[in-house]
Amino acid sequence: MNFGIVIKVLGTLLLFESIVLAVPMAIAFYYGENTNPFLFTIVLLILTGSTMVTIAGKSKKMQSREALSIVTFGWVLVSFFGSLPFVFSGVIPSMIDAFFETVSGLTTTGATVLTEIEGLPKGILFWRSLTHWLGGMGILVLTLAVLPALGVGAFRIFKAESPGPMSDKLVPRVKDTAKILYTAYLGMTLLQIFLLFIGEMSLYEALVHTFGTVGTGGFSVKDASIGAYSSSYTTWVITFFMIAAGVNFALYYELYKGKWKSLIKNSEFKLYISIIVIAGILVTINLFLLDHYEGFFEVLKQAFFQVASITTTTGYGTTDFDQWPAFSKAVIFVLMFVGGSAGSTGGGIKIVRLLILGVVIRREVLRLLHPQAYLPVTLNGKAISSNIVTAVTSFFFLYMLIIAAGTLLISLEGVGIVTAVSSVAATLGNIGPGFELVGPTQNYADFSYPSKMLFSLFMLFGRLELFTVFLFFIPGFWKSK
Amino acid sequence: MEIIIVGAGKVGYKLAEAFEIEDNNVIMIDVSAKALERADNQLDVLTVRGNGAQLSLLKSLKTGEKDLLIAVTSSDEANILIASTAKKLGCKKVAARVRNPEYSKQIDFVKKEMQIDYVANPELETAKEISKYVIKGKALHMEDFANGRVVMTEFRAKNLPLAKNTRLKELDIPGPMLIAAIQRDGGIIIPHGDTIILESDLVYIIGEKQTVNNYCTDCGKPSVSKSAKKVMILGGGKAGYYLAKNLIKSGVNVKIVERSEERCRYLAEELPAALIIHGDGTDSDLLKEENIAETDALVSLTGYDEENLLLALLAKKHGVPKVIAKVSRPNYIPIIEQLGIDVAINPVLITASEILRYTQGGRVASLSLLLGGEAEVIELITQENSAIVGKPLKALNLPRGLIVGAIVRNGEVIIPNGDTVVGPEERLIIFILQSEVKILKKLFYKTRGGVFGELWNSYKGLRDPSSI
Repeated sequence: MNFGIVIKVLGTLLLFESIVLAVPMAIAFYYGENTNPFLFTIVLLILTGSTMVTIAGKSKKMQSREALSIVTFGWVLVSFFGSLPFVFSGVIPSMIDAFFETVSGLTTTGATVLTEIEGLPKGILFWRSLTHWLGGMGILVLTLAVLPALGVGAFRIFKAESPGPMSDKLVPRVKDTAKILYTAYLGMTLLQIFLLFIGEMSLYEALVHTFGTVGTGGFSVKDASIGAYSSSYTTWVITFFMIAAGVNFALYYELYKGKWKSLIKNSEFKLYISIIVIAGILVTINLFLLDHYEGFFEVLKQAFFQVASITTTTGYGTTDFDQWPAFSKAVIFVLMFVGGSAGSTGGGIKIVRLLILGVVIRREVLRLLHPQAYLPVTLNGKAISSNIVTAVTSFFFLYMLIIAAGTLLISLEGVGIVTAVSSVAATLGNIGPGFELVGPTQNYADFSYPSKMLFSLFMLFGRLELFTVFLFFIPGFWKSK
Repeated sequence: MEIIIVGAGKVGYKLAEAFEIEDNNVIMIDVSAKALERADNQLDVLTVRGNGAQLSLLKSLKTGEKDLLIAVTSSDEANILIASTAKKLGCKKVAARVRNPEYSKQIDFVKKEMQIDYVANPELETAKEISKYVIKGKALHMEDFANGRVVMTEFRAKNLPLAKNTRLKELDIPGPMLIAAIQRDGGIIIPHGDTIILESDLVYIIGEKQTVNNYCTDCGKPSVSKSAKKVMILGGGKAGYYLAKNLIKSGVNVKIVERSEERCRYLAEELPAALIIHGDGTDSDLLKEENIAETDALVSLTGYDEENLLLALLAKKHGVPKVIAKVSRPNYIPIIEQLGIDVAINPVLITASEILRYTQGGRVASLSLLLGGEAEVIELITQENSAIVGKPLKALNLPRGLIVGAIVRNGEVIIPNGDTVVGPEERLIIFILQSEVKILKKLFYKTRGGVFGELWNSYKGLRDPSSI
């Protein structure tokens, strides 16, 4: 491993984080709150970052090994320093709790250890939500977009960090691709801020909730999450943007270039929309027949908000779905394993993988009928390589394996099986809320420190798509070539 | 620059690699997903599967707005068609690889009528390179820079009049020239004062033309013996044909050993002055019968690298003074010198250098790739605001992998030292490892450094809508 380039890029990343932290510091200053927690963190970041950049020496070409290390270490380091403001301000006194909260933010999970949110300093809460926005498209991809000269093999970082089985580049250069993706992201953010602001939210609330939505995170500044806002307008705006953030951002580029057809032809997009619509209708019918809410439109609103929130792995809530009838709860539970589209800010298994798995199953069935048939696995009408198919099937198996192992470990806490399974699925899938003890109105505060560390690991696992982090547990990765 | 390369074979890949390192946007097109996979995994380029001659594909990639298209598929006809189509679509510069000797006579017509700006012929270039070596009998690489005022050449250290096993700084080197690099054990070393030159090294020298020439002649031991009179070529393919033709023109006796009867007939018709032998070059009895020990030089140009290397070794064993092998895969090059073969020639690198030299234009006056592309020698012209201008070289913190070999100032060749200050509008001949090529951009364009500088640059980039 070439540690020089790894340390250099990580140092740059920390310097970049110090600049970003100036934003919540300004917010804290504006509201007349204590700015020292941010100031101390920024000073620490600058000292550490510049030391790392100085000692790193001359950079050399980056191979996959280095890129993977940069991504994993990068996320851990940024999370560690990002948790310092919580500790310094005393909002979350325990380091492990604060780390959990920051990882949850950056991985756009939205699981929290805070029991009461309202009344906490606005600057700190702003930072908590900003981590969603930063983590949504990838912190390193963001760094790539604004600091293009990270290194020769920078495109490997992009491949390691971007979600989905295949990372599609839009233009030849990764840095330009990153710029395009962030432009779309920024555009979506600004539009939502505006739409929420003209509703019932203040500018501050609009900003914070937009970060949580477009990053598919789920941190709110209200104890009752989006349920604190009474107007249907706000709910529907957030529902729309949650769904929009779960779409592959490459498709927005196609739209921008006037290729409407590619959106309609894209099988992942079609399946994604179908899943939300069908699940939404099923839940609506179930709730409506059992008279859970007053009026059809109220039911429709609640059903679609919750379905969109869980499918896109956002985790906002307008109601406690743990109180729903069994069938609706089952639908929500199944959706926890779906996730957003590849190349979106959503987490989970991702629609495209399910699509490929479906084609693989269909192929196996057809092969029984026609043993000699030549059946390539196709996606959007194009055959995909067998390497990708293998990667997708192993991803799915590893995902389920981690859910199983995680459930066993979390059960040691003495919590119920539903809590254990749903908490692991909610952290690994970067969703946030689960059922029972981790339900929409609950939080993760009562788990022990080892469990919280485990959850933090699961969140990183999920955000970096398992294999990137998993590599670090393989001894061969550390040996020199 | 916006560049499209059609054909992801050896040359296509090498070109993409060279362009990518220098911050160009490269799109690669190939019909084979397998060929593209390697480029996808190793390079920061966009790969597109499809037939490059398809108009709809070229249109959808906006070929008309690109700066350069290079067609290097395996078919000459397709290359001409692709390049010509691209030009018609409005691509600024187009280049095509055309190898067939039958077309080589109509290149000028093709260039003019099909509007192809540059036609590369790797086999012809390879043949030229080999005949230079075979006929002139001097060093293989004799690259000219600054209109021939500066040359770079390579020598075996044992042939040079250097005191062996002494430190570089104690060596007595006459006049304006310097040892820019040493090739040892398959790698390149940029030497410094304390480096000791070993007998087995291959030494790259950059210097003023006359000085270098005198130095080589004065030493009494020219690097290679006199010009060859009798040459045997194994493999009568395109490169073999061009080489034979070139050699015959200079009055050399040429024997070609070719396996295919049909090809033999063709060669016999086209090259009446050469002796064509129908047989297998790997047959050692045949080679003995044809008096391999008596030939002055043997050139192995069959289609297989492995065969070429083995044949070259066989010839060396029979005592042939000059042995040359064609090796298309760059990864083999580092081990070849250890095998004792005089010269391994790589058509891929030759073609890539040629095309790069043609396409770089402007800023880069000349360029050649060395040792499988691991290093390159590049000739640049400084500008008023280049970062390298106005400071002594030692204050610039140049990386170890870069050496300024020579400066041409008002027509005079200067070999720089740490205190030399470079001025504007001067020609620099720089020897640089491929891993450091990026720094050239920094040295020749003024940019701000550091995190804030980069933020500023990317802000400027964002304001320019074409970058998105």
